[in-house]
Amino acid sequence: MSTFDSKYDMYPAGDVGVVEGEMNIPSQGAPSGDAMEFNTLDEPIKETFMRDLRAVGNKFYHVLIPREKTSLLKEWDLWGPLLLCTLMATILQGSTQRADNSNDGGPEFAEVFVLVWIGAAIVTINSKLLGGNISFFQSVCVLGYCLFPVALALVVCRLILFATQTTFLFFLRLIISMTGFVWATFAATKFLGDSQPPGKKALAVYPICLFYFILSWLVVSHSNV
Amino acid sequence: MSNVNTGQLLNFQDYSPEHNDRSARIDVEAVHTNQYSNSMSNPNYDYEEPKIAEETEAAPQSNHNFWTIEYYQKYFDVQTSDVVERIISSVLPQKVTPNYFDERIKGKPDLYGPIWISVTLIFTIAVSGNIASYLNNANKTVHWRYDFHIVSYAATAIFCYVWVVPLALWAALKWSTIANSQDEMETQEANTPTMMSLFCLYGYSLAIYVPVAILWTIQVYWLQWLFVIVAAFVSGAVLIFWLMPALRKSRYFPILIGCILGLHFLLAAGFMSYFFHSPGSGGITPLQPVITSTRAPV
Repeated sequence: MSTFDSKYDMYPAGDVGVVEGEMNIPSQGAPSGDAMEFNTLDEPIKETFMRDLRAVGNKFYHVLIPREKTSLLKEWDLWGPLLLCTLMATILQGSTQRADNSNDGGPEFAEVFVLVWIGAAIVTINSKLLGGNISFFQSVCVLGYCLFPVALALVVCRLILFATQTTFLFFLRLIISMTGFVWATFAATKFLGDSQPPGKKALAVYPICLFYFILSWLVVSHSNV
Repeated sequence: MSNVNTGQLLNFQDYSPEHNDRSARIDVEAVHTNQYSNSMSNPNYDYEEPKIAEETEAAPQSNHNFWTIEYYQKYFDVQTSDVVERIISSVLPQKVTPNYFDERIKGKPDLYGPIWISVTLIFTIAVSGNIASYLNNANKTVHWRYDFHIVSYAATAIFCYVWVVPLALWAALKWSTIANSQDEMETQEANTPTMMSLFCLYGYSLAIYVPVAILWTIQVYWLQWLFVIVAAFVSGAVLIFWLMPALRKSRYFPILIGCILGLHFLLAAGFMSYFFHSPGSGGITPLQPVITSTRAPV
C-alpha cells in the first residue's frame, strides 16, 4: 500500500495529461536510484527476506510474551506456522531404521504435518461455528504461531535425548513439554479468547487445549534416538 | 425529551408469524435498558442499536445453504452450561428434569458435544493405551516404543460407532413405526426422535468412557472388566432411559434394547481388550511390537 501511495504522490494531476511522458517515467526513474521510486522488485533480495523474517520473529516474540495482540491478529501470515510445523514434523517423525516395520512407533512426517494443519483448521472451524468473530486465517495464524513454546520444548527434549536416559530425565522432559503446553494454551487463549461470546468461551478454549495437549503428548513420547 | 422517547418506544414493529421468541425477548430487553439509560446518555443511540442486532439475528434462523458455515451454526448454538448439563444428564439422569431429552435435546440437538467428546475419547484412549502398554513392558528388557497409530484405530472405531449406530437406530425406529396401526401414527410421528438428536444422545453417552479410559491404565484384570461392565451398563441404561418413549412404540422393542446395550458393551469391551490389555497367546497387536507377553497379573 505504501508504494502505491508514494507513487501516487509523485505525479501531480496536471502531468497526467501528457501520455508519452507518463509512459517513460518508470524507465527513467529506475536508473537514477531515487528513494521515492520504492519498489520491492528493486531492493536487494536480502532486504526483502530480512524484512519478512523480522516480522515472523516479532510474532514469535509476541507469542512468548503475550501482551499485545494486534501484530498477530492484524497482519497474519502463515510463514511462522509453516516453519514450526516443518521443524516439528522433521524431529518427530518415526525413526527410519525400522521403516520396514509398521510398528515403529512415532508418526510419519506427513502425519504430524496433517495433524498440525487439520487440527488448527478444525479448531478454527469450531470457533467459527460457535459464533466467534475472527477470520479463518487469523485464527490459523495464531494457533500456528502459538506452537512456538511446544516446538521449543521439542528442541530441548531432543537435546536431552542425546544423554543416557534415566527416569529423572523422562520426568524432566515431561515437565518441559507440559510447560510448553501450558504456555501455548495460555498464549492462544489470550489472543483468541476475546473473539467468543462470554457464555461460550470455555467451549472455544477446550479444543485449543486439546490441540496443544496432543502435540505435547507427541513431544514427550518422542524417544527415537 | 421524554415525549420523544415514548414516541420511539411505541414505534411498533410488524412481526411476521415465524418471528421467534428470542428476538421478541431481545426487543423487550432493549426497551428496559433504554428506560434506565434515559437520564444519562443519548437515548437515540441506545435504542437504535438493538434493532439492528435483532434484524441480523433473526435472519440466520432459516434457510442457509447446506454448504455454508452458517447452516451448521444452529448445531453449535450452545452455552458452556448447556454442554455441562448434557454431559451430566448422560451419566446421572436424575439430576435433570424427567423430560429433559424431549424438551431440550430433541428441540435443540447440538453437535459440539458429540464431536469433541469423540475426539477427546480418541486421544484419551491413545494416551492411556500407550501408558498401559508401557506399564505392561516396564519390567522387561525390551526397548519400549510408543505407538502413535492407536489414534487411527481408535478414531475409526469411535467415529463409526457415533455415526453408524444412531443412523441404524433411527432407521429401525422409523421402519417399525410405520408397521403400527394407523390411528397411532400421528402421535408416534412426533415421538420418533430425529436423526440429529440421536447423534447428540449417542455422542454424549460416550462421555463416561473418557474417565474410564484413564482408569483402564490400572493393570488389574478384574478391575478393568469391572469398569467395562459398569461404564457400559450406566451409559447404556441412560441411553435406554431417554429413548424409552420412542422404543416402547416399536414392534421390536426387546430386540432394539438388546442391540443398544449389546453394542455399547461391545464397544467398551473392544476398547479394553484391544488397547489396554496385553494379549494372551497369538496375534500381535500394535501395542506389542516386539514380543507377545504373557497375560497380565491378575
